[in-house]
Amino acid sequence: MKTTKKPSPLTTKYIVLAFLLVMAFFLSIGIGKYPISPQDIYRLLTGGDVSSLTQSVFYNLRIPRVFMSLIAGFGLSIAGSVYQTIFKNPLATPDLIGVSSGANLGAAIAITFFAGGTSAIAISAFIGGVIAVFTALGLTRLSAEKSITTFVLAGIVISSLAQGFIMLLKVFADPEHQLAAMEFWAMGSFASITRDKLISILPFVLIGLIGLLLLRWQINLLSLSDEEGRSLGIPVGLIRFFVVLFATLLVASIVSITGLISFIGLIAPHIGRMLTKRNDTHTLVLSGLVGALLLIISDSLARSLTASELPISILTTFIGAPYLGYLMIRLRQS
Amino acid sequence: MKTTHLLKPALLIVLAMLVLFSAIGCNQNSPTPPNQPGESNSGNTDNENTGHNDFEVVITDHLNRQLTFDTPAENIVSGYYISSSMLMALGLSDRVIGIEARAETRPLYQLAAPHFLDLPSIGSMRELDIEAIAALDPDLVVLSVRLKEAIEILESLNIPVLAIDPETTDRLFQAIDWIAQITDTVDRAEQLKAFHNQKMVDVADMLQGQSPPTIYFAGNSDLLSTVSNQMYQQIMIEQAGGISVSQDINDTYWATISYEQLIAYNPDVIILAPAATYSKEEVLDNVNLQGITAIGNQRVYEMPYQIEAWDSPIPSGILGTLWLTSVLHDSVYSSDDFAADATEFYEIFYDFTVDPAAFTY
Repeated sequence: MKTTKKPSPLTTKYIVLAFLLVMAFFLSIGIGKYPISPQDIYRLLTGGDVSSLTQSVFYNLRIPRVFMSLIAGFGLSIAGSVYQTIFKNPLATPDLIGVSSGANLGAAIAITFFAGGTSAIAISAFIGGVIAVFTALGLTRLSAEKSITTFVLAGIVISSLAQGFIMLLKVFADPEHQLAAMEFWAMGSFASITRDKLISILPFVLIGLIGLLLLRWQINLLSLSDEEGRSLGIPVGLIRFFVVLFATLLVASIVSITGLISFIGLIAPHIGRMLTKRNDTHTLVLSGLVGALLLIISDSLARSLTASELPISILTTFIGAPYLGYLMIRLRQS
Repeated sequence: MKTTHLLKPALLIVLAMLVLFSAIGCNQNSPTPPNQPGESNSGNTDNENTGHNDFEVVITDHLNRQLTFDTPAENIVSGYYISSSMLMALGLSDRVIGIEARAETRPLYQLAAPHFLDLPSIGSMRELDIEAIAALDPDLVVLSVRLKEAIEILESLNIPVLAIDPETTDRLFQAIDWIAQITDTVDRAEQLKAFHNQKMVDVADMLQGQSPPTIYFAGNSDLLSTVSNQMYQQIMIEQAGGISVSQDINDTYWATISYEQLIAYNPDVIILAPAATYSKEEVLDNVNLQGITAIGNQRVYEMPYQIEAWDSPIPSGILGTLWLTSVLHDSVYSSDDFAADATEFYEIFYDFTVDPAAFTY
């Protein structure tokens, strides 16, 4: 007698999440201000006859935007999950070691001093994010105590300094334009995503993602204490450096063209852990899928709720903050 | 025992301070009580006589505060660009003793009142320097209503503040009228108003029978930021015989849209706000916008900023309407016609001559 093997609960979760993600993706490519009907989408995907403008909007704007929200959600969530693991802190986010603040400062500098062109902002934000993290790493090396706490403290120092410089720039910024541009950048948006922008960051995103996935076992071991890691033969310092480097590359390249996106990097890893009830590579990947799903839904709402675009962080915050409150209550009860 | 020893000197100090504060308080005029409910509100003025001996002006400003002036204001502090521009247009440049920060970034000041650049700065809308204002001992400070808290502090220091909110043309001229009355320059204000009204009539006549093109008005920091329906630029577009494609966005500030939205709007003309950080060439070459009528017809224009930004409610705001009319309907009002009008305006009200070539596009 032949018995059919039931898929494991984890496989079921992968299948359900992947299904939801595909559904959200296809729903999202049907949403936008430029009218593209489901019939148009069918014709576009099957090489049918549609106007060149519709074709251009679909392939240069709509598809890259949905892909970008997917990549951003996946990347930020994986980075968040990695940070939470290696810093042994459930509230760790990319901002903990200064990458977001550095990128924010980079964008503010470009807006103030380089006329605020979109390419200048993206490049400056990327450089700002990377410099901030390397400065935090340098500060940790200078310290006698090279523990995780020192690294987190160095990140806080760099974040605070970056925030201080941002405030200084805001004081001297033209209130109507430069200040407004800085504020808007810090709220994140996918409104200006184009195919070219997506392509420009893709190599960095891929290097970051592949690097983190290759180091997945070491990342799990970094959740142990440094002594335990060393006793297992892991060069803890070196691995942590590369993990931070790849995560930084991932986050900095994403936020350089989207602006800051709140909460996704915090809540998606928690949902991922709730789904797997453990903290391993599956958690990392499931967190990424959850983040991608959340950000595709958030961006679909951001471009359709009002006549103009809503900044993406408004929606992710409305999703993230209540969830954080729920976690607090649950923690207290347990 | 020790407590009694300490109590005596402390009481003496408190008494001395009370006497001192009472003396200071007696030297100050008590602030005029606010308007009573039922009284006539904004625009309620009473200029009984322009002779200085009988001079009395009572004004209820845009914060509904009643102000009384019994002599024309001679030492004026201006809190922001719009009030400074108003003072210049009324020929009051020489009476201005303090000005907003970043004056050097305003081309108009260099052209019409270079001495503004040497005046003490009183800070900005974000960080008003109240002590700097007090040190200048002005008899009139003109500030935006947004600085309500600072206005209250200045009022407590007995410094007269006119709070203005010129977000529409009507409120702009209301504020100009108030300043004119307080400074005894009513004739000049009337001249300014007459110029504005005459040009509005001329534009309305010229636009008879003209079909209105659709306009996308882009913000100066980003092509994808645009005017919402409660902004001054919407009125300007209507007055210039155009239809704003973003009139469905209900807001009071710049709104962000997507490329898709801009393509869906498909405007006939794209206008870039003054001092845009990107050029019209960049817009015309943007691969994502090919297919839009305005791009296909090369109808993308940068609003001039050689003198000032005319897309805001300022005394020269009429020039924004005229410039846009010349862009949208050049068959009835050419760029040369506009240049002549703009030159005339600055000669009359700001006392300087510009090369008309600065206005052509």
